[in-house]
Amino acid sequence: MAIADLPLLTITLLIPVIGTLAVFFMKNEDNAKKLALIFSLIPLGMSILIWSLFEIGGGYQFMESHTWIESIGISYTVAIDGLSLPMLFLTTLLIPLSIVFAWDTKKRQKEFFGLLLMIEVGLIGVFVSLDFFLFYIFWELVLIPMYFFIGIWGGPRKHYAAIKFFIFTHVGSVIMLLAIFALYFESASVLGYATFNMMDIATVSPTFTAAFQGAAFLALLFGFAVKMPAVPVHTWLPDAHVEAPTAGSVILAGVMLKMGGYGLFRVGITMLPEGAMEYYWVMAALGVVGMIYGALICLAQVDLKKMIAYSSISHMGFVLLGASALNLVGVAGGIYQMFSHGIVTAVLFMMCGVIHHKTGTRDIPKLQGLITKMPQASFILIIGFLASLGLPGMNGFVSELMVFVGAYEAYSIFIVVPLITLAIGAAYYIWTMQRILMGDFNEKLGNVTDLEKYELIPLAILVVFIIFLGFYPNPLLDVIYPAAEAVLGGVLL
Amino acid sequence: MNYLILLPQIILVAIAMLIPAIDLYFKDKTRILPYLAAGALGVSLLILSIFTGIIPLEIFDVTIPTSLFGGMLVVDRFALFLQLLFGMVTFFVVMASSSYIKQYDRNQGEYYSLLLIATVGMMTVAMANDLITLFIGLEVASISSYALTGFRKNSKKSAEAAMKYFIIGALSSSIVLYGISLFYGLTGTTDLAQFGTQLQNIDPSQDGLLAMATIFLIAGFSFKVAAAPFHMWAPDVYQGAPTTITTFLAAASKKMGFAALFKVFLFGLIAFKADWAIAFGVMAALTMTVGNLAALKQEDLKRMLAYSSIAQAGYIMMALAIATQYALGGALFHILTHAFMKTGAFIIVAMLSVMLIGSKVGDLRGLRIKSPITAFCMAIMMLSLAGIPPLAGFASKFVLFSSAIDAGGWLIWLAVVAVINSAISLYYYARVLKEMYVLPTDHIPIRMKEPLAMLIPVVLTTAAVIIVGLYPEPFIDAAMDAARALIP
Repeated sequence: MAIADLPLLTITLLIPVIGTLAVFFMKNEDNAKKLALIFSLIPLGMSILIWSLFEIGGGYQFMESHTWIESIGISYTVAIDGLSLPMLFLTTLLIPLSIVFAWDTKKRQKEFFGLLLMIEVGLIGVFVSLDFFLFYIFWELVLIPMYFFIGIWGGPRKHYAAIKFFIFTHVGSVIMLLAIFALYFESASVLGYATFNMMDIATVSPTFTAAFQGAAFLALLFGFAVKMPAVPVHTWLPDAHVEAPTAGSVILAGVMLKMGGYGLFRVGITMLPEGAMEYYWVMAALGVVGMIYGALICLAQVDLKKMIAYSSISHMGFVLLGASALNLVGVAGGIYQMFSHGIVTAVLFMMCGVIHHKTGTRDIPKLQGLITKMPQASFILIIGFLASLGLPGMNGFVSELMVFVGAYEAYSIFIVVPLITLAIGAAYYIWTMQRILMGDFNEKLGNVTDLEKYELIPLAILVVFIIFLGFYPNPLLDVIYPAAEAVLGGVLL
Repeated sequence: MNYLILLPQIILVAIAMLIPAIDLYFKDKTRILPYLAAGALGVSLLILSIFTGIIPLEIFDVTIPTSLFGGMLVVDRFALFLQLLFGMVTFFVVMASSSYIKQYDRNQGEYYSLLLIATVGMMTVAMANDLITLFIGLEVASISSYALTGFRKNSKKSAEAAMKYFIIGALSSSIVLYGISLFYGLTGTTDLAQFGTQLQNIDPSQDGLLAMATIFLIAGFSFKVAAAPFHMWAPDVYQGAPTTITTFLAAASKKMGFAALFKVFLFGLIAFKADWAIAFGVMAALTMTVGNLAALKQEDLKRMLAYSSIAQAGYIMMALAIATQYALGGALFHILTHAFMKTGAFIIVAMLSVMLIGSKVGDLRGLRIKSPITAFCMAIMMLSLAGIPPLAGFASKFVLFSSAIDAGGWLIWLAVVAVINSAISLYYYARVLKEMYVLPTDHIPIRMKEPLAMLIPVVLTTAAVIIVGLYPEPFIDAAMDAARALIP
């Protein structure tokens, strides 16, 4: 039996489930992190294995399908393609890195690391499921551990932030669910049998009437926009991010926001091409407003973490803009942007965690001259900032360039409007860098030391990714391009 | 005629008669009475499972559906589904009562006897195919419940709740009876099966009367299921009643009201769907919104759960607005899952009062250390009530809400209201989670011992909620079979 015949995706999904239970029920609290790390490294190994066996341009692979609730057409169907593979890898990479980064957590360790693994279950599940019922279960499963995560280990306003996060994203999910119901019943009448299988629905859904597609697309877009988040439904994000513990922020911004973008490509554009073509301008408007608004707010932030949170809103706007272009470069750029933002923002939130931890503050005006005391940390922070503002040679540049090329094809000269974001982005990053790293060290901060080893390792790994993918993005692009073609299948016809 | 099909009810009535007699002769009542009642329920549940084919034994020579007494009672899949549910809830309530009802409580014989009789009444409603038998069943169950609500005579709250419940209940019964008499006057029959054809023939000049009769029935039954704007009594009664009885009221008695509504409207009056569906749609939207908004502010757990029950009744009521087979199946499925969730949640509240922890939401703080298993079960119940996958409450809402989308038209907006409500409800359910798991305690709590007789039903219902959530297929099938019996 070849390795590829094994139910690899199910194994990848099951290991963190077992890990969650094992960590929750273990006796010795201090070993929780070690056990959690082991259980999170196995899925990482699995996703590397899956990537190595992945056939580029081969559509859905590693498919497993078992009937589950036959009477209403629900099955356990998982598979992976060029769209979900990078997301799967991103998830399985960031979870162990967050565990390492959170190595010195003291409060309720078993629950902390157990919940991290539980989040991983949900995230992997969202990216591999191809049945709407299953997809929705995992989509919602992510919320519960994250709610506790923010609520228990968060900052001063954690209770407010946790419940706000929970309710906002839940509202988005249930509206999305209604659109899924509509797709289910509409496709049942065409197919002759009722099914929640995404692939089956996708074969007939592009033929639905334009009015139906438009309405369903808008309902789906609402759900995804809350998750991404797009202005004006973004307000949960700054609260959640600022209050969440660093590991929570990393997962939240690094992977959870991508669920929205992933849904948009996997469900929205793939299944409802006419709806997407009719309402491309909604995506474009949400994207551009998010990009500029997020960037402008960043300029005014005093709290470093809040600034990075708003920059996430700005960067997720790129994904929407790329998607709205509805051409190959734009969509591929959007997908690439999700991956590269996941990596870069993880670095930024981790650095923010380091600075807060070492100096006791995140206020930009209070921080000064950190470069003298924390040379390693400052170096990584500079790389993170530069990658985030899209400097050539870093992975952020590749995706932003692609998005703009795609957008130019679609909107020609009007892309000067979103281009302003780049200027503002450069402004707030460089200005912040200047304020916190340069100048004389603020002696009030006390005795500040450089990175601990458990902080350095995850950061170094991520920096390698940033630079490698900046110079040589092909491995990722090769996977993404066929997937983008598949996403646009209905549009290009 | 095959009276064998009534064996479960006959057993229950016989034991209900026996219990007060035994009560007179035995000293240590807490030992024997609950076992007797639970035994009777267990046996009748077993027989019912054999009837339905859950237990594949062919000892009884019965056919389903069976019509008895000239069509007054019909035992079909619908009746069996609900009978099993009522029996099961009462079984759990009796189990929990053995810890909750103490040695010094007076009139224990009556307590268990009335519980069984109320169950038989509810089962009769499920079987009723005629307005007269329906009304008799309703009254048998209601009158027993009034007495049970006032069981703790010395407690002012309990007495007040019983009084309130009795007055509202009697009023609503008389409204129902008035509606029935109007229908009889219009059609000359009380047989639900003949309603459709008889009503087609009435003179158009009597349309006003028909409308009035329908409104009377809607109002009367809405009192029973505590649908807004007829819901005011429910929180007070639920709070004042002994908690085990609250469990019974929320998980079983309210469902009897729905059984009656389904019988009358989705079976008897289905041909006039266009006339009453909108009314139920508006009431459903109102009920869930009022229930959820009021629950947001509650400090008392019992009261919060009472309002949550009202909200859930709103979801179930959607089936009456949609009035399709699929929707009815969804509603019956939700009735089942809601029975599990509310039984578990209310027994936990009863358990907390037995453990002297208290019944305010704030009293739950530190429960994760005091009693980890209770805290976990409560968390599962709350998440399931909020409709978070992969739990039972999600599965049933999934079917129920999707049936509204299936029907299309204005019902899509009803589904939107329902899902928004579902999201609002998350706030107060999450508050319980927050108290139990998130908030720090002032001093380190001590591990406490749970009363086993209450812990068992709690664990069983929690397991049911998880199992139904992960593998809902057989339960959906059973609910759909039951729905098919009413709406072919």
